[in-house]
Amino acid sequence: MRYQPVMGLEIHAELLTDSKVFCTCQNEFGGSENTRVCPRCSGLPGTLPLLNHDAVRLAAKAGFATDCTVNNYSAFDRKNYFYPDLPKAYQITQFEHPICTDGHITVVGGKDIRINRIHIEEDAGKLVHDDYEGISMADYNRCGVPLIEIVTEPDFRSIEEVQDFVEQIALRLKYAGVCDARMEQGSMRVDVNISIMPVGSTEFGTRAELKNLNSLKAIGRAIEYEINRQSEILDNGGTVVQETRRYNDNHGDTKALRSKEEAHDYRYFPEPDIPPVLISDEDIQSIKDSMPEMPQERFARYTKEYGLPADDANLIISSKEFSDFYDEAVAINPDYKQISNLMLVEVNRQLNDSQLTISDVKYSPADLAELVKMSSDGVVSKNAAKDILKIMFDKGGKPQDIAKENGFIMDNDASGLEDIVNQVIAENADSVESFKSGNQKVFGFLMGQVIRLAGKGANPKMAKDLLTEKLK
Amino acid sequence: MALAKLREMLDKKEISAVELTQQYLDNIEKRDKDINSYITVCAESAIEDAKKAQNTIDSGNATAFTGLPISVKDNICTLGVKTTCASKMLEDFIPPYDATVMEKLKASDIVMLGKTNMDEFAMGGSSQTSYFGGVKNPYDTSRVTGGSSGGAAASVAADLCAAALGSDTGGSVRQPASFCGVTGLKPTYGAVSRWGLIAFASSLDQIGVIAKSAEDTGYLLNGIYGYDANDATSSKKSEGNYTSLVGSDVSRLKIGVPKEFFGDGLNDEIKTAVLNAVEYYKKLGCEIVDVSLPSLEYAVSAYYLISSAEAASNLSRFDGIKYGLRSGLGEDFNDLIKNSRREGFGNEVKRRIMLGNYALCSGYYDAYYKNATRIRTQLKEEYASIFEKCDVMLTPTAPTTAYKIGEQENDPVKMYLADIYTVTVNIAGLPAISTTCGYDSKGLPIGMSLIGRAFDEKTIIAVCDRFEKDFDRKEAVL
Amino acid sequence: MFNSDLTKHLAELSKISFTDDELEQMTSDMTNIIAIMDKVCDFDTSKKAYALDAVDYNDLRADEHKDSYPTEKIVANAKNVKNNSFVVPKVV
Repeated sequence: MRYQPVMGLEIHAELLTDSKVFCTCQNEFGGSENTRVCPRCSGLPGTLPLLNHDAVRLAAKAGFATDCTVNNYSAFDRKNYFYPDLPKAYQITQFEHPICTDGHITVVGGKDIRINRIHIEEDAGKLVHDDYEGISMADYNRCGVPLIEIVTEPDFRSIEEVQDFVEQIALRLKYAGVCDARMEQGSMRVDVNISIMPVGSTEFGTRAELKNLNSLKAIGRAIEYEINRQSEILDNGGTVVQETRRYNDNHGDTKALRSKEEAHDYRYFPEPDIPPVLISDEDIQSIKDSMPEMPQERFARYTKEYGLPADDANLIISSKEFSDFYDEAVAINPDYKQISNLMLVEVNRQLNDSQLTISDVKYSPADLAELVKMSSDGVVSKNAAKDILKIMFDKGGKPQDIAKENGFIMDNDASGLEDIVNQVIAENADSVESFKSGNQKVFGFLMGQVIRLAGKGANPKMAKDLLTEKLK
Repeated sequence: MALAKLREMLDKKEISAVELTQQYLDNIEKRDKDINSYITVCAESAIEDAKKAQNTIDSGNATAFTGLPISVKDNICTLGVKTTCASKMLEDFIPPYDATVMEKLKASDIVMLGKTNMDEFAMGGSSQTSYFGGVKNPYDTSRVTGGSSGGAAASVAADLCAAALGSDTGGSVRQPASFCGVTGLKPTYGAVSRWGLIAFASSLDQIGVIAKSAEDTGYLLNGIYGYDANDATSSKKSEGNYTSLVGSDVSRLKIGVPKEFFGDGLNDEIKTAVLNAVEYYKKLGCEIVDVSLPSLEYAVSAYYLISSAEAASNLSRFDGIKYGLRSGLGEDFNDLIKNSRREGFGNEVKRRIMLGNYALCSGYYDAYYKNATRIRTQLKEEYASIFEKCDVMLTPTAPTTAYKIGEQENDPVKMYLADIYTVTVNIAGLPAISTTCGYDSKGLPIGMSLIGRAFDEKTIIAVCDRFEKDFDRKEAVL
Repeated sequence: MFNSDLTKHLAELSKISFTDDELEQMTSDMTNIIAIMDKVCDFDTSKKAYALDAVDYNDLRADEHKDSYPTEKIVANAKNVKNNSFVVPKVV
């Protein structure tokens, strides 16, 4: 039988706050065991949580980034379960009154994926396992790192939709300054709820929850594996069990972690230590006003106002820093197309070759804008512009200065050039003869001689015109 | 002796802080083996505290609490001093930090004599569920002290401290104060920081004070109240100056008497004593108003469901891993936890955890936990309308006086129902004070409670003080 | 109705082990306790559930980190520590 997969996502994203969500320990990745821990986040008796203002602010921004409603009233609940990475044996989360609700994102094919909610919660610690001694060791550095969980409706029907959504979410959270969205480091974690049903059916099957998906590729492979696994079960007359499955990237398969029926009753109830949070309409509006332009808005601007091709626009927005750099450059020199071309080809090549990012370059967007202007104004030739960019990349410096110091300024003195052309023709009688008898290839050699003598500042078009004229 | 009087004596050098502390330590040495009010006596550090206090006094920098020796309930975290909650689970737990109340009092060079005994994790009304043995009533050592702050109340009644810090979740300061013939004040929810109070039921817990008089409770409350950035549920509404109305004219106040508190379950001798107190205020010129708390019949159930639900969650952190008893048994993580909790918790604590999970678990939540919180809303509203009609409400503190050890503390249902007169105050977050208003035929103290508007501790302290000034209080004879 | 299966379920949720005798006693205690708790079941469900008073967003703790605690103090009360971490029998 042919099956249709049905998927929903739960995405956890670590918020870019300075301190943890309920205590003042630093919110930072890594570190030696239990060095970023205090009585609060290690769950010492008698301690109480203190909600971080910016965790709420960033969660609200995530809501605006995904077209959610940011609610005036939100409240915290306790999710109770025992696990060695959870020192209080409950996770503080938002169950009944999440901060954001009812969002959506349009994915490939123009389809709307509905976002049910975004809520704030705390991360758990990390366990290191020692097989030899048969022990696990709990490190609470990550306990209390602020997270948002973005929960979608089961609206996905293909891997492409899922991957596009995840890519868009990651990008929007980065743009909004909410999360650095590094899937491989775990700062954004995607769980996929997946079931299958016969094509044409409207009744969802039993779902499995896929965890440990730390790249877009892993998401694709895990879903593919899971569709096949569930299809095989149904084809053989079996039933899919509701369970959590862990994806193994080395094997490309998923394995059951634990069945959900197994005494999983989280006994949610309102967190008595944290009063509900009231955000006024005014504050909500000011958070909204503080939202930077989102990638999809930039895409529209680039394609509609700047006339860039969709592919180029997508490439530029795929990194916020790159896109910011572009925006600053075109603000100075609105030569949208040329700056885009230079950045997407030359700049990107240099970055890739040296494994750097745009934030690492030694020149400013204004320098790049100036360089493009010099080229389009005919102050330097196109080739010279590339050479100047190379020097800017290697050593930094202003394009004007580099051009002057290296003799890149285009010389538009026709009489001087004419002398040089005459000299080249006189010194290369054989080649001239050969050209005149129909060997077009020699023209390039002669041009080369002209440029060599004239220097990098020579105006190539003028030289070409003169040479053509003299060879007639 | 009144705290203000002790202050005066210390300041006038009629007694030194070390002498005063030594007197109490001697009393503890002599009497506490019969009473068992302390789990930990800090003899050495108390003397050190006293020396330091005396230096402060000598340098003329004494403040209200400098050199006053107090006891602290053993569920309040004290830096470097064992804090056990009277549980085997925390038998050797040493907090790396001070509760906010301790920080405040230590800043004023108070002397901490030790940590007082209690019902395990403050769950109980007898102080017999302690892992360290039950507390005995100074008025009759064959009887209970009430609880859960039984050690605190007994330490005051037996002169084993000048005053005591306790905690009150459903009556745990007021009821033992009543059983032990002393005065117990439960402040408004949010008036005192809970930072460092090992949580039983977070939305009901409040640190309170037990002392020999209403004025003394106000005196000590002045040192611990106030908003604390460490506790998001603490309030900025408190104004302090809790003894400022003591001695003022209270005769124009209206005193509400709720009929539901004088029904069938109430012992006759107690009823008579409490109604005599009502009569006292009437004679004073106060207007006595009939008021009603119609939902009182739901209060005990609602209280036990809410407090146990919160307790089940709060006590989940005791898993043997980070602190507390760790069982030697257990092949896997699950077994390790289950055995640690089995060995570490006593029966009453286990019952509360089980009840709490019952109230919260899937299929029962709406009928039990959720409905209990609806009753909470209802009771708050009923109190609000009561305080439109009167300034203070007067009730009995407990339906009985101190009973014989072993008589009822092993019957959970009987124990729970006995909390009827105290739990609504916690449910509604109000302040209340219990003082002795008479003695029964066996000579045991009878307590009455005065309940006030939120953050109006001043008024109930003044009204209570007025009564105490005309009441012939009998000290326990040991 | 309260029964031993429910007691076992609650014991599992509570993560407390009981002997058979203890379970039986607990079932009996809980039966009596639940009988008085049942009082709340018929309460007016149109009534709003209680919630703490809300606080304004602007009054929340400012996002500034401070020094954490020394690791040795964090693990001081633990019975089994290795690599400054809390040790449990291996999970998963």
